[in-house]
Formats: sequence, structure tokens, C-alpha cells
Amino acid sequence: MFLRRKQKQSDLFTPVGTGLGQNQRRQEIQDRIQLLKKQIRNSKWWMALFFLVSLAAAVDFRFLPAIPETAKKFLGNAPPTTLISIALIVYAFSALILIMGHMNTGSVRFKGWSHIVYLSAFYLFYYYSGVLRDNFWPVFIAGLTILGLENYRVWSLCSEAIREEMKILNSLGK
Amino acid sequence: MFNRFASKAIIPVALSLTGFVVICSLILYSSIKADFLRDAVRQETSLADTVVSSTRYTMMTGDRKNLYHIIDSIGVQKGIEHLRIFNKDGVIMFSSDPGELNQVVDKTTAGCIECHSGPVPTVRLGSMQLARHFVNARDHNVLAITAPIYNDADCSAGDCHFHPSHQKVLGTLDIGLSTASLDSSLLALRWKMIVFCIMVLILSVGGVSALLRRNLLTPINQLLDYVKKVSEGTLENDFPRGVSEVETLGQSYFDMAREKHLAETTLIKAKKTDITTPEKDHKQGKK
Repeated sequence: MFLRRKQKQSDLFTPVGTGLGQNQRRQEIQDRIQLLKKQIRNSKWWMALFFLVSLAAAVDFRFLPAIPETAKKFLGNAPPTTLISIALIVYAFSALILIMGHMNTGSVRFKGWSHIVYLSAFYLFYYYSGVLRDNFWPVFIAGLTILGLENYRVWSLCSEAIREEMKILNSLGK
Repeated sequence: MFNRFASKAIIPVALSLTGFVVICSLILYSSIKADFLRDAVRQETSLADTVVSSTRYTMMTGDRKNLYHIIDSIGVQKGIEHLRIFNKDGVIMFSSDPGELNQVVDKTTAGCIECHSGPVPTVRLGSMQLARHFVNARDHNVLAITAPIYNDADCSAGDCHFHPSHQKVLGTLDIGLSTASLDSSLLALRWKMIVFCIMVLILSVGGVSALLRRNLLTPINQLLDYVKKVSEGTLENDFPRGVSEVETLGQSYFDMAREKHLAETTLIKAKKTDITTPEKDHKQGKK
């Protein structure tokens, strides 16, 4: 959306027909294409980060040192597994609804980083409760669905925007 | 392929539905499995308590022969993988497997560590903490319970006995049951849930796809074909009907094409008239 608005503004202020104006406009379009490509790239990096966190969770965070007794005392008892699972279902449902909402607004920005924080928190809660091995797959599938949908949203909107920009760029070249 | 309307409409719906149904099914399976396991542990704890109660008298009277006989009889029951009684030092005093007798159990192994993790052994634990799940030497999945045999007034005050009253735990009973039936129930449940998931997905994704195809994609494709046909010069009003928006669009396009055609015909006629009229005037002028 912000890119489209920017594009409209540039349409208003660019002198048409002059060589200098055309070059400037071409540069602007190329910059926008680069920005869109960067968004697609970033979304893939966030997905890779989630896979990395999941890999650590799959081995039950074996590389981490055991939680000291003082820390356990400070943190208190782990929440019941049922409660964590209910929270995961509610979170997955609302996240999917939110992404669908973003699809409607047409924003090309990747908003998946917060999901990685939430998903990692679910892994940690299950780990602290000592039931991560039994509950790894629900969190992993939730992450795969949410981030997959977010990636698809960004990719499809950015690809569409890139195609439009390329069309304008080609028409300027003629 | 991904630019098409069909994929844009179906992929997000299919992805979110599939993901959400799978997440819910996995959590449901995990919760049912935990409930099954809790029930199995409860039953096993009750069985262990029954064994302790039924052997208490023979222990008090020191009737070892009878105790061996009871342990052997229970040990050969179907589904019981092992049954043993340790003394407070961890030496196996009675067992359904005679080869284990007088062996010392490592206190750091599962089933012992729960109480013996600190410098002073824990006296009481919850039933889930007393349970352990492992694969035995015969490659059977086993759910085992260690039930402490507590000191009683009868034990410490009896004439024949030597257990001091301050000794809280006299020994431990360890019973292991095969989880074959539990595993087969869970496997059946897993398959039922997979079939249920597939059915839900086929119904929802298939239903959405079929409805989209019937009400949107096919009329749009028909409208595209109609527009192409009209653009090529065929002026017919056979635009797709049934979906009101598409029908209105088709009707408007047909009206527009007809008006354009009429305008073109009028223009051509006018041009022809313009061409023929000066010729007539010219001829009349000559006369």
C-alpha cells in the first residue's frame, strides 16, 4: 500500500516526456522493485529462522544447560499442558484470521517476526513443562501454517507489484 | 499458474484450513494419549497397592515361601512383564524372574532417581512421578510403577520384627505392565484421526473449490470466451447466465457492443451517403 501511494505521488511530481524525468522515474521504479524483492527475501529468512528454532526444539534444547533450581523456584510451577495447548489453538486461529485480514488490506510488509517470538515461547513453555517431545509437532505445524501463509501473502502481493512496476518500466523504455 | 484467480482464491483457504485441522488433531491426539496414560498409571498404581496389601500379612509373619508363591502367581499373569520387591538398600528380595534375585539396583536409574535424586530420599511422590515408560530386554514397551512399602505400627511394634519406628519406607514394590493394548488403541486412534482429517479436508477444501468453480470460475471463463467472441465480430447475446453480477456484466458488454456496432453501421451508411451525394450533385450540375 505504502509503495503504491509513493508511486502515485511520484506520478504527480515527475515531469513527463523529459529525458531527465524519465531517468529519474526509471530509477525510482527500479528502487521500488528492489524493495519488493527485499521483502520476499526477508520473509524467507524469517522462515529459515523458525526452522532453526524448531530444529533446536526437536532435540529438546539438549545443548542448553539444565535450568538451575533457584531459577525454577523463582519461575514457579509450569502451567498445565492443557492450558498451553488451548493457548496454542487460540493463537493459531487468531493469527490465521489476522493474516487473512492483511491479505485484504494489501500490505506488502512481512509481519511474521512476532509469530516467531510467539512460537518460540510455546516451545519454551512446553520445554519448561517437560512435555516438549509430545507437543513438538502441533507447534511446528502451527508455525509452518502461519509463516507459510504469511510468506505466500507477501510473495503473491510483491510479485504482483513487481509485475506492475516492470510493465511501467517497459512502457518508459519504449 | 499462481497468478490465476483459482489459485489465489484456493491456496490461502486450503493452507489455513489444512494447517488448523492438523494442529487441532495433533493437540487432541496428544491430550487423549495423556489421558490414556494417566488412566493406565492409575490402574497400575491400584494394582501395585493391591499386591502390597495382599502380601502385607505374609511379610509381617515372615512367610517367605508363601511370598515367593504369590509373586510367582501374579508374575505369570498376561500383560505383567515384571514384579519385584526391593529392600531399603535396593537389593531385589523377591521377583517373578528368579535370575534377578539378590541383585542391587542402581539408584540413579529411572524409577529410583525420582526419590533418590537428593541427599535424603523423598518419602512420598505423585502417581505420575512413580511411573516410567521403557522398552525391556524382550523388546516390549513397558509402563512400570514403583510403589513404596511404608512402615506401619504393626510392622515396627510386632514381636517378630526388627524395623524401627523412625524408618518410613521398608522397601519398594516394582511392577511393570506391557503397554501393547494401550499402544494398539493409540495406533487405531491415530489412524481414525488421520482418516477424519483427510475427510474434513476433502469436504472443506473440495467444497470451497467446487462452489468457487461452479459460481465464479466457470461463469468468469464463459464471460471471457464471450468477450473474445464479441471482439472477433460475432454479435450474439449468449453471455453466461445464472450469476447475477456476471450476467449484468455480460448484458452491459453486449449492449455496448451492439451500440458500437449500430454506431459503426450508421457511420458507414453516412459515409456512403456522403460519397454518393456529391456525385449526384455533380451529375445534376452537369445537366
